[in-house]
Amino acid sequence: MKPSFYFRYITIALTCGIIGVAIVFQMIRINYSTSALDLIAKSEDYRGVEQIIHPPRGTIYDRSGHVFATNQIAYEVGIDLKFVTDPESIAFSAATLLDLEYADVFTLASTEKREKEENRYYVLASYVDEETILELEQLKENYTVRRQAERSITPSLSGLVWAPMQQRSYPEGSLAANVLGFYNYFSRETAQGVYGVEEAYNRLLTGKPKNVFMPNDPYLVEALPDIDPGASLILTIDREIQAMLQQTLSDAINWSGAESGTIIVADPETGEILGMASTPFFDPNAYWDYEKTFPGITPYNRAIGDAYEPGSVFKVITMAAALDSSVAEPSTTYIDSSGVFWVEDSWPIYNWDGGAWGEQDMLGCMQHSLNVCLAHVAVDLLGEDLFYEYIQAFGFGRSTGIDLAGEANYPLRLPENNQWVILDLATNSFGQGIAVTPIQMVTAISAVANEGKMMAPHVVRSVVDGGQQYDVAPQVVSSPITAETAETLTQMLTVALEEEASTALVEGYTIAGKTGTGEIPTEFGYTSSQTNTSFVGWGPVDDPKFIVYVWLEKPSISKWGSEVAAPVFRDVVEQLVVLMKIPPDQVRLQLSAE
Amino acid sequence: MKNRLLQAYKQAPWRVQMQWIGLFLLGLVLVSSVAGVYLNISAQAATAGRNIQNLENQIDEINNGIAKLTTELAIARSAKNMLARAEEMDFSLMDPQTAIYLEIPGYDPNENLVLAPPRVNIINEAPIVQSSYKTSLWDWLAKNIWQLSDDATEGDTLP
Repeated sequence: MKPSFYFRYITIALTCGIIGVAIVFQMIRINYSTSALDLIAKSEDYRGVEQIIHPPRGTIYDRSGHVFATNQIAYEVGIDLKFVTDPESIAFSAATLLDLEYADVFTLASTEKREKEENRYYVLASYVDEETILELEQLKENYTVRRQAERSITPSLSGLVWAPMQQRSYPEGSLAANVLGFYNYFSRETAQGVYGVEEAYNRLLTGKPKNVFMPNDPYLVEALPDIDPGASLILTIDREIQAMLQQTLSDAINWSGAESGTIIVADPETGEILGMASTPFFDPNAYWDYEKTFPGITPYNRAIGDAYEPGSVFKVITMAAALDSSVAEPSTTYIDSSGVFWVEDSWPIYNWDGGAWGEQDMLGCMQHSLNVCLAHVAVDLLGEDLFYEYIQAFGFGRSTGIDLAGEANYPLRLPENNQWVILDLATNSFGQGIAVTPIQMVTAISAVANEGKMMAPHVVRSVVDGGQQYDVAPQVVSSPITAETAETLTQMLTVALEEEASTALVEGYTIAGKTGTGEIPTEFGYTSSQTNTSFVGWGPVDDPKFIVYVWLEKPSISKWGSEVAAPVFRDVVEQLVVLMKIPPDQVRLQLSAE
Repeated sequence: MKNRLLQAYKQAPWRVQMQWIGLFLLGLVLVSSVAGVYLNISAQAATAGRNIQNLENQIDEINNGIAKLTTELAIARSAKNMLARAEEMDFSLMDPQTAIYLEIPGYDPNENLVLAPPRVNIINEAPIVQSSYKTSLWDWLAKNIWQLSDDATEGDTLP
């Protein structure tokens, strides 16, 4: 080899070697330099993003599969500063289409910011509808065409980005909203169900979110783990019955001038709630208007969240206790000679009309809704121990445990409490001095309609989770009275209703029921002329398929339950038997005889 | 003589050079092949990665589409809309007194809606502890040797 070649080879080798050593040295130096941690942290940003994937919230169906609550697509619109070239156009389009302030958006989109700030993505608007996004897309395309034609870099919406997101939707609007509750999806990180089924079953509906790392490096990309959607619920509510109840209630309030109202329809054999209407009606699609619709302490669902003194419908419970404990029979008589019953010679109890009704048997006492008679039954025949034992067996004084959030419960004033006086026993017997919720009344009185068995009220019929369906089995809460007592009382209330020629009667169907007119306490006592009017009834009497409870608060047309709540009950039942496909008694008996 | 013998076994310098060049090229080809295979596999992995991302996006789009259609369908079939359509078609609520009732055997208007199969209790009859945790090394060795010999025997009998 010539010496000159040798020298060249050595020079090249040395140069390459020095470069190699320098590279290795620099690598070591960077690794141990003070800014190494910053560099590592920066590199992490480019590795990918850690994301919490929220499964779609479960769907809620009515008992026939109609959708009550589901998810629909909306969009989040934001600015990605990396790609912004024309802040003016972005600000203009956001101001025009998203109704945002031009100056605010322009400040956010300013390209000077990207050098100064770490955060390079800003959310402009959430839950933007698809139509607006289509308009933005169209505008973006138009700008592209203009740029190409003018060979300019403006106008451009580059950097204005949007991504789909799921939004809770209630396709039926205000239908069954008081049962469903709502999902406050706007507060994305803390969103949860509020009231009703949405709150009571929030965890099931939400599903299990998963934390997933999404790498930018395509070598590291893996399929996302399977994320099961939140559980879906099938309710016991029948959409058609619910719609009918809401319409009937709305009409009833207009007709009677009542301040508010509640109607519950349940299946006494299973405890399933078939419909539950309560005012005010509310559209959960615009849940942010909640405070306008429910000012102050207005309950979201009066059927479960509002306690009131029910009045004479409570006599059903007193009479059930008297019959079941054998202290009275239907033929037991009471002589109402003066129209007043004195409690320990101190407190007088009067009848609803202030009159004396002479000798009455228990059927007559119920038929004419005599307060003095029922006070006599409670005070003289049952006594405080037996009366309150039955009251508690019927579930009063505690929550029914219905699977809806927001159930209220007013504690019972019992003889062992200091504030209790013997007058309470007398007034409680006809539903005054005791606060109950409509759902407590339905649950308790359903025992009379269901051979003495009190069923747990519930609104969820099945849960669909992980590809399997779990059906909710009806549960007996207790048996406060015997089947014989239940049958006897049902017969009494059927006859009482028929002999009274009540406005609650439905042609072709045998119904048992009881009216109620409850005085409303004020700070000066029961001085108000306004009342709570109620009616509870069930049928067909030989095989009850429904129990209906109507409560209209402070009607102006009349203060009597028999004149306000009873006709509403009839309206409900006339439509209910059609929707539930229950033939008139004659047809039904004829069909069963064949 | 000695010089001549040595001269007879020595390669010509150009041959040595060619051999080195050949060896270098062989190495280069091998390295290139490995690099090529590596690049190819890497490219396939990257493409697969991107495909996965695309498919995930498609799944999202499809799910979003399903959600949108479900909502649209639910709104179209809502009680309010159905009532309006029924009224448009001159339907009205029937009078129970004039209705004709028929008994349909097997029809239960109160039947449970079924959206998914009912829950099934899966009873796992397999032993909880796997056999590999209970087998000694000797047992395992013997079992595998027998297995091998069985396989070999079966192989012999094959046509």
